[in-house]
Amino acid sequence: MRYAGKKMITMLLTLFAVTLFVFLAFHLISGDPATSMLGTDATPERIAALRQELGLNDPVLVQYGRWAKGFLTGDMGTSYSYRLPVGEMVLDKLPVTVTLTIMAFILIVIISVPMGIYTARHAGGWVDRAIYMVNQVIMAFPPFFAGILITLVFGRIFRLFTPGGYVSYEKSFAGFVSYLFFPALAIALPKAAMAVKLLRSSLISESKLDYVRTAYSRGNATRDVLYKHVLKNALIPLITFLGMALADMIAGSLIIEQVFGIPGLGRILLSAISNRDYPVVMAVIVCIAVLVLLVNMAVDIIYGLVDPRITVE
Amino acid sequence: MAVNVNRKKNYNLILGGGLTGVIMLFILIGIFYTPYDPDAMNAADKFAGVSIRHLMGCDNFGRDVFSRVLEGSRTTWLVAAGTVFIGTFFGVILGALTGYYGGIVDEILMRVNDAVFAFPSILLALTFISISGSGRYQVVIALGIAFIPSFARIVRGEFIKCKNMDYVKNARLQGAGDFRIMFVHILPNTLTVLLSAVMIGFNNAVLAEAGMSFLGIGVQPPDASLGRMLAEAQSYLFRAPAYAVFPGVVIILMVLGFSLLGDGLKNE
Repeated sequence: MRYAGKKMITMLLTLFAVTLFVFLAFHLISGDPATSMLGTDATPERIAALRQELGLNDPVLVQYGRWAKGFLTGDMGTSYSYRLPVGEMVLDKLPVTVTLTIMAFILIVIISVPMGIYTARHAGGWVDRAIYMVNQVIMAFPPFFAGILITLVFGRIFRLFTPGGYVSYEKSFAGFVSYLFFPALAIALPKAAMAVKLLRSSLISESKLDYVRTAYSRGNATRDVLYKHVLKNALIPLITFLGMALADMIAGSLIIEQVFGIPGLGRILLSAISNRDYPVVMAVIVCIAVLVLLVNMAVDIIYGLVDPRITVE
Repeated sequence: MAVNVNRKKNYNLILGGGLTGVIMLFILIGIFYTPYDPDAMNAADKFAGVSIRHLMGCDNFGRDVFSRVLEGSRTTWLVAAGTVFIGTFFGVILGALTGYYGGIVDEILMRVNDAVFAFPSILLALTFISISGSGRYQVVIALGIAFIPSFARIVRGEFIKCKNMDYVKNARLQGAGDFRIMFVHILPNTLTVLLSAVMIGFNNAVLAEAGMSFLGIGVQPPDASLGRMLAEAQSYLFRAPAYAVFPGVVIILMVLGFSLLGDGLKNE
């Protein structure tokens, strides 16, 4: 418990550093929001009035405090280009990106754990070698190209889904999830290939250790040794990898959303970047940062559960 | 070093080296010669299929895809190389200083490093791009900065491992200064680890650049880039699938070659 608490404090400190950094970066470089909201032909008086209204005349740290406080209460400012509350825009799209990432994550686990165990048990066999080659190629896939190929093969040739036929989760949750299956697959495949390779090598090196020999010598069946002893230890590197991969996948889903025409966080982030709509960019980045930090903290806590040695410094 | 007569052939090294060599050769040829002007449009050849005249067909403007792939892979390669250079250069300096000296500066820098490292690199690059505007140099700088922490972390670990070794103490006894010890004595001993980090970093940079250009915030026209070609091809996916497949395959071969080469070198 003390361990979990410590991790939580670290996370909050990191979150503070990240948000402060993001706020300062956009604050210093983004220029005057009042001018960009009103356009170049606005009168100086109107700009000054808007500056006062937006609180741009206050010291930077006061502005940061106000922004952070607003963020916590769900008030993330107003979009320059849509004139809508940013909070609504982001919270509306957040479930899409999160669902996509979670589905991809589940796919990775479903694919990689059985394959990793199989290839480790049959290391050197022709199936193992074939899987190694296939994995090497899949690892080299940019996820969005995997997405394009999946659209081409499953959408066009086999007609298993309608490319571009996104169903909103408010309309039909089943339709929403089934449309997200192939995008999730595109995100999952390259990561799953890496996970298989990692689990295989960690299983093999783990099963060479003394305690495994002892377990066998006491008459345990291969099955028991593998699942009760080896797998538990071999999973630790995989958990590290999956934690890092999850953070990567949240960012990667921004690209995949673009390939499959899914209106998630990626779409608003991109249009906000090209419109220089900084409140939206900041909100999306901070949302993703929070997700990533939560994932990291969860990984650290899961470590402690899988391997209690880690919690002792 | 003992010579093992019966050792198995290192297929990874051969295959990876071969692939990388061929791609480098094509990129080099592409600097001096492309079959067509990569930007020349020819309405008659719009969406032309694969043929002797157009090895990879033509795109929506009738531009020769093969010529554009040659130019695009050069851009992608240069961006990746620049990214890895920035990441390695500053990563080595930061990692060496923090690993060698330790102390409070190390503690603070590593906390910052952890925070940056926890962030997906493409998101960091997006933040930078949204502030600085897009273009190939911005992409190199943005990705380069995003790559520094991973290199710094690796180099720091190696320096901590090496700094109390006998050869370092020996060098110190002979009166070598800190900088000489760091960069003449310790650094060469970290090269194996650094090399495999560079290989992995290069591949990540290729994929990140392709992803950013695909989103339209990376390399800007008129520079051709494999990622942007894929983005353009996506709109015509069902009419001209070849246009999307070839640039993608080139990215895969580029990354595959480097990762096999990296695996092969590790086993050497």
